[in-house]
Amino acid sequence: MLLTYSRLGGLRFVLCGIGLTVGLFLLLPILVLVALSFGDSQWMQFPPPGWTLRWYADLFDDPDWIFAFLTSLRIAAWVTVLSVALGLVTSFGLVRSRFPGRETVRALFLMPMILPVVVLAVALYALFLRLQLNGTELGFVLAHLLLALPLSIISISGALERFDPSIEDAAVLCGASPMEAKIRVTLPAIMPGIATAALFSFLASWDEVVVAIFMASPDIQTLPVRIWGVLRQDLSPVVAAVSTLLVALTAVLMLLSAALKKKDVRA
Amino acid sequence: MTAAQLQALPLQDAPPTWTRRLRGFGAVLPALVFVLLLFVVPVLALLLRSITEPTLGLGNYAAFFAGTTYLKVLGNTFLVASLVTGASLVIGFPTAWFLAIAPRRLAGLLAGIVVLSMWTNLLARTYAWMVLLQGTGLINRALLGLGLISAPLTLTNNLIGVTLGMTYIMLPFMVLPLTSAMRTIDPSVLQAASLCGATRWQCLTRILLPMLSGPIASGALMIFVMSLGYFVTPALLGGTANMMLPELIAQLVQSLLDWGLASTAATILLVLTLILYSLQVRFFGTRSTA
Amino acid sequence: MKRRTIIGIAAATFGTALVALPTTSLLPQATAAARSIVFTSWGGTTQEAQKTAWVRPYTKASGVRVQLDGPTDYGKFKAMVESGNVGWDVVDVEYDFAAQAARDGLLEPIDFSVVKRDTLDPRFVTDHAVGSFYYAFVLGYGTKHFPAAPKSWADLFDTKTFPGKRTFYKWSAPGALEIALLADGVAPDKLYPLDLDRAFAKLDTIKSEIIWWSGGAQSQQLLASGEVAMGQFWNGRIAALEQDKQPVGIAWEQNLTTADMLVVPKGSSNRQAAMGFIAAATGAKEQADFAAATRYAPINLGSAKLMDPAIAETLPNRHEATQINLNMAYWAKNREGIGKRWYAWQTR
Repeated sequence: MLLTYSRLGGLRFVLCGIGLTVGLFLLLPILVLVALSFGDSQWMQFPPPGWTLRWYADLFDDPDWIFAFLTSLRIAAWVTVLSVALGLVTSFGLVRSRFPGRETVRALFLMPMILPVVVLAVALYALFLRLQLNGTELGFVLAHLLLALPLSIISISGALERFDPSIEDAAVLCGASPMEAKIRVTLPAIMPGIATAALFSFLASWDEVVVAIFMASPDIQTLPVRIWGVLRQDLSPVVAAVSTLLVALTAVLMLLSAALKKKDVRA
Repeated sequence: MTAAQLQALPLQDAPPTWTRRLRGFGAVLPALVFVLLLFVVPVLALLLRSITEPTLGLGNYAAFFAGTTYLKVLGNTFLVASLVTGASLVIGFPTAWFLAIAPRRLAGLLAGIVVLSMWTNLLARTYAWMVLLQGTGLINRALLGLGLISAPLTLTNNLIGVTLGMTYIMLPFMVLPLTSAMRTIDPSVLQAASLCGATRWQCLTRILLPMLSGPIASGALMIFVMSLGYFVTPALLGGTANMMLPELIAQLVQSLLDWGLASTAATILLVLTLILYSLQVRFFGTRSTA
Repeated sequence: MKRRTIIGIAAATFGTALVALPTTSLLPQATAAARSIVFTSWGGTTQEAQKTAWVRPYTKASGVRVQLDGPTDYGKFKAMVESGNVGWDVVDVEYDFAAQAARDGLLEPIDFSVVKRDTLDPRFVTDHAVGSFYYAFVLGYGTKHFPAAPKSWADLFDTKTFPGKRTFYKWSAPGALEIALLADGVAPDKLYPLDLDRAFAKLDTIKSEIIWWSGGAQSQQLLASGEVAMGQFWNGRIAALEQDKQPVGIAWEQNLTTADMLVVPKGSSNRQAAMGFIAAATGAKEQADFAAATRYAPINLGSAKLMDPAIAETLPNRHEATQINLNMAYWAKNREGIGKRWYAWQTR
């Protein structure tokens, strides 16, 4: 029926068509970036008049790109871990109990997402200047955590609400401690929600530029801040080269994990 | 799982005891302290400038509502956010459906593309769209070459450009939660329904969509709210006539240094959004908003 | 979404990130030694050129380390000064911002016992700011679009003879309004105070044809791709396109000059070293080297004779006959009011 692919009939082709179109839609700008990174036009002329590896040479000549990449990765990794941990605990509190003012608290958690990010950036920067947190990785992590937390709470509490708590209670009735029941029964069931929360949290930090411009210092620059400067000033295809390398890296990681999984299945 | 979803066992529906309530609050406390210290305090300090700068009073609010400019920009903001949310929903639902049930290889491929697109820098993607959508861009040239149009279409610097560029960025926020939710639904529920004589359309509208209302609402909420606060993509792909409030606020903060009026605009956007949110909670219940 | 795929990617990412973790501490780092200042500019090739032409020789001569930061952000600038924790020592800003910031008390006065005022072009020196480089807003066009080259600002508004999209600087800044008035026939010496109603009315006549550029690179992309036929550009941007053999041209008639300024934010803890850096950056040789790299003009009066004549020929100071200086005293007073009206007009 509707959720069994082989029994969808004609609808299957419609769905498949939509899936492929969306895939193409998502892929198109990436393909453009890949082409631009090998093109010899500095002005993003498309299709490029000729081909070159110059931008990759420029990229590897400049160690700052690698530093910026590692800085972004580190910050985003911390944000992801903290956001998921905090989001998990908070979601349990929000979904499983009925304390007074719960709706207000829930709305409060969403507010960092609503406020235009420039305003948040100025407010946080003013605070961090007073706390001497500006230009530190801790400052970056805290600021980005604020943006990531709502996404994490929404994703995890959504999964938690779809999970029937009575299953957890059943485990407790069968002799598990409440904590054990949460860890061994509930957690695996809401894993997709947690994975989504992790991915969104990572992205909230990885791709963030406005707060990052304020938090940046000569010692700490994230990748988006560097890309922002280069795109505004030079439009250099080095940015396209950076993007292409990241895409390639991701693709390799995905293939690797797919291959590992296949091995698991066989073993 | 599925049967249980439809009728919860009574155990947790018993009126909560005080200890249970306190425990729930305790779980929320760390995040609450974090948000209070790092968000509420500094942001309030800034937003207070809306009534203290340049002089004490409501002058900034009067200025905001005096002309048509700011109101138009406010309207644009909600219009674009709605369009982006709607487009993400219409495109995202079948995509998630496909991802949830398609054969492994096909679904894996599309999932890979989704992740690749998210992982590519947002600014770089936006510039790529500029290259694609311009009058002399790839899309226009392809359409002209195929003879489908006789003059280039205007695809950037207008509502089309913003909506397209933002939908591109927001789509995964609908697709991912929806896919994982769909995976948890037991296909036999739908089989049972069809055995009882339900048509496909009824299966879709009476069973599948209601069961997915939670994830749909939470995806839509994330996208709508995030769209309200974005300004990088709209600034590059939209025209000035479609300017959204965050861009205007950015100009006030970064170019004109008028933080009083900027705080005013931010406060108004915040309050309006919270009103919309509480209306949603009131009419659709908390379940669908989490 | 493939859940295992996500988890796999996440695991791999964290593996990499955690390996990279110990390299920097999460905690605030001790403030840099006193013999070091922070110079903030706009990033990209301009900052690269500043690094080569100014920073390296200065550090070599004085032993003061200069850390580069960027991009310049006026909101960040203001927040920094307000808090008293000022991390920037010298900042490259636009002239009109420098004028407003001086008025608002955000700047340290320039120490003219260190910076030699008489060697500098007086148009670009104030009590609180010294020119960094000067440039002109010029009429740039794609040569392929028209049989005859456009010559004046009036041609920019003549969409009958010169059809095609136009481009202007998006932000409220000196330039576009003056261009509109000049195109409408206002005499250069009668430009100020600006007749705003008349300027906006003139801009209205081509508003539907305008695509705004928000950064220099974007202006180049718009012209190089043929998306726009002509517009208001920074001269250095067109010069770079010409060097790259792109089919573009410049009309210098009534070019409008203004400058980027070097300023010291109020409360900088390295004021003395900052003044030293400004003095060095505005030196004759440093200014000449920077101009050669970027095609923006030097503000040091002694730079011209140090330069390769072929390059000097392309700089804005060779087009002084019909040059008009944008009036920064007027803009300092009216910047906010004009800005609000400008953005309101844009959204209409």
